[in-house]
Amino acid sequence: MNLRIAWQVLKKDLRLGPRSPILLWAIVFPLVGTFVVQIVFGSLFAPQPRLGIVDEGGSQVAAEMAAVEGIDLRLLDEESALTQLVRDNDLDAGLVLPAGFDEQIRAGEQPPLQFFVGGESLASNRLILAVTTLDAVRSVEGTTAPVEVELVASGEPVLPMSSRMMPLLVLFALLIAGVFVPAFSIVQERESGTMTALLVSPARGVDVLAAKAMMGLVLAFLMTLVTLWLNDALGTQPAALLLAVLVGALMLAEIGLLFGSGAKDSKTLFALMKSVNILLFAPVIFYIFPDWPQWIAQIFPTYWIINPIFEVAIQDAGVADVIGQLAVALVICLALVPFVVLLSRRMTQQVVAAA
Amino acid sequence: MNAARRAAIVRAIVAKDLREFSRDRLWMVLTPLMLVFYVGILWLLPSTVDESIDVGVYARGLGGPVGEALASDAISAEQGIDVVLFDDAEALAAAVIEGTEVEVDGQKRSVAVGIAFPDDLAATLAAGAPATVTVYVDAAVPAEIQTAMTAFVREATYGLAGIGLPVSQAEAELIVVGEDRVGAQISPQERMTPLIAVMVLLVESMALAGLVAVEIQSRTAKAVVASPASVGDLLSAKGLTGTLLAFSQAGLVLLLVGAFGYEPLLLVVALLIGSIMTAGFGMLAGSAGRDFMTTIFISMVFIIPMAVPAVAALFPGAASGWVQLLPTYGFIETIVGVTAYGQGWSDSVGYLLMSSVWCVAIFGAGWFILRRRVEAL
Repeated sequence: MNLRIAWQVLKKDLRLGPRSPILLWAIVFPLVGTFVVQIVFGSLFAPQPRLGIVDEGGSQVAAEMAAVEGIDLRLLDEESALTQLVRDNDLDAGLVLPAGFDEQIRAGEQPPLQFFVGGESLASNRLILAVTTLDAVRSVEGTTAPVEVELVASGEPVLPMSSRMMPLLVLFALLIAGVFVPAFSIVQERESGTMTALLVSPARGVDVLAAKAMMGLVLAFLMTLVTLWLNDALGTQPAALLLAVLVGALMLAEIGLLFGSGAKDSKTLFALMKSVNILLFAPVIFYIFPDWPQWIAQIFPTYWIINPIFEVAIQDAGVADVIGQLAVALVICLALVPFVVLLSRRMTQQVVAAA
Repeated sequence: MNAARRAAIVRAIVAKDLREFSRDRLWMVLTPLMLVFYVGILWLLPSTVDESIDVGVYARGLGGPVGEALASDAISAEQGIDVVLFDDAEALAAAVIEGTEVEVDGQKRSVAVGIAFPDDLAATLAAGAPATVTVYVDAAVPAEIQTAMTAFVREATYGLAGIGLPVSQAEAELIVVGEDRVGAQISPQERMTPLIAVMVLLVESMALAGLVAVEIQSRTAKAVVASPASVGDLLSAKGLTGTLLAFSQAGLVLLLVGAFGYEPLLLVVALLIGSIMTAGFGMLAGSAGRDFMTTIFISMVFIIPMAVPAVAALFPGAASGWVQLLPTYGFIETIVGVTAYGQGWSDSVGYLLMSSVWCVAIFGAGWFILRRRVEAL
């Protein structure tokens, strides 16, 4: 491989890169992905019980419920609006607190509790909301509970969904920048005939592919760090993070070379991506569902780059904690090299033959 | 030229396009593989909803209505709580803290919450002395469940101490609004099915866009219309190819996940409208006639907003007003209605009409723009 020629090809790609829509995607994705995953999907898998309250008299019950952790509370002005939201399953339950409700409670008049639940609300959410509401009413009543409740917590808390979605975002950033950019760039060069032009120059196939891989690696490295930064997940171990992201970018750039040199045209590349990408993405599903058998995720090669990044960025692991996993990732990268060489030779032969 | 001759020409162009796809061995291998993956993902998702909280209870010292209810199995999972009774407080603590499984009715059960009422609770309360109830929780248990369990314990002991409810007829006032789906909730698998079907449709719009773009770039479209085929024949053939590709694959996915069990004709109509619409998108994106990457990029501009109604269907509640205005909303709602809610023609006719109008508009726009592009070649 001639580094000087590879550098010239890379410079050309960097100069022409901004004209490519895929480069735009690679740069825009961290912003779009962060928004979609954190705002839209964040509440999909761990929905909190949702309660709507119409408080007609400034009841203390509403204030008590607002202070309860883990309940999504919405205050409304009209009972009809509340009923509609409950009916549409925009809320799990609704509570109407008429004027003077607190005074009636304190006077021991036992006013009726206007509490209604949505047909599609989960039974557990109904129970949580009902029993918590009743507890809030008790606190307004001022009665001392007959017992003290001692809460004994054990084990590790489950990470919030926003953290568990992080591997998905990181892999997207790595995939678009590390795989899509070099793969599409190679195929475009083949289809537009510029690959033939390059190969009749002193550049060899390996120089061109090295330049493409370098572009994917640098872009994937940077965009992964941007994604982590946007999600406030840079962790506390910068050296470990940079190392883990670098290995991740390396593996994905190598996969990009495999895709790009293996596909004879854009259509084939598209077919390759829409199917093989499911395998690349498989490990991230296991972070979203921690109850699933986690060993399955280890079958997939991308687990060995995503997990170290996850552990460093989210769980503050150091280099020593992830070095074993990164070593496995590097072994996978090494194992892919012969395939890259084989496919690149085949591609060069095809381009030369076509010329 | 008569209609039969026109149909033969369109059929020949469609056959040529499909042959082109079928000659691509990788496409032929990977496309079914992708469908298998999609179906696999759907089958992996839970097909039921666990809507109860598994609670271990040691309640030897608990009398009163709650104690009796626990002892008689009167509290069921449909009330949001699935009680596992323990004979030993230490075993209960171990089950929560160490995650030890216990055997109940021949089944291995685990509990994330444990409530241990002291043995002398009734006597202590009767004497007016202070008592403590221990609630064991796994730290992974959400905060709202921890709060609710604490409140549940307090409420149980109010009854035991003879203190009545602060409100009247709480049970009678508990009104269920809408169809009560406790025990029959929409499972994640059912929620995801429309999204997968719609994604297959939209991804196939990219395949058509790519095909159209290549024909414009290489000017084969011009060559075709120089033959006895007219521009109209070419456009009909492209629309038909796109519709066939999208419809067959999305239909196959729905078939493999068993979605055609209820109102199959309604589902077929909804899919067909969706397929024609996505073929329209493919014609629009492909008419730019640029390289594959640009075509994909243009397609993504359509696909992302068009997938929003399917994503919105994953979430509880009605979709926002702007989502309902999107062209794909109607046929997606029909698929959701049939596959998840068991709705029929009368519930879906409005959505289908809305979708049909959009379908005509989008396919018409695709036809018009692509026609101008081909004629300008």
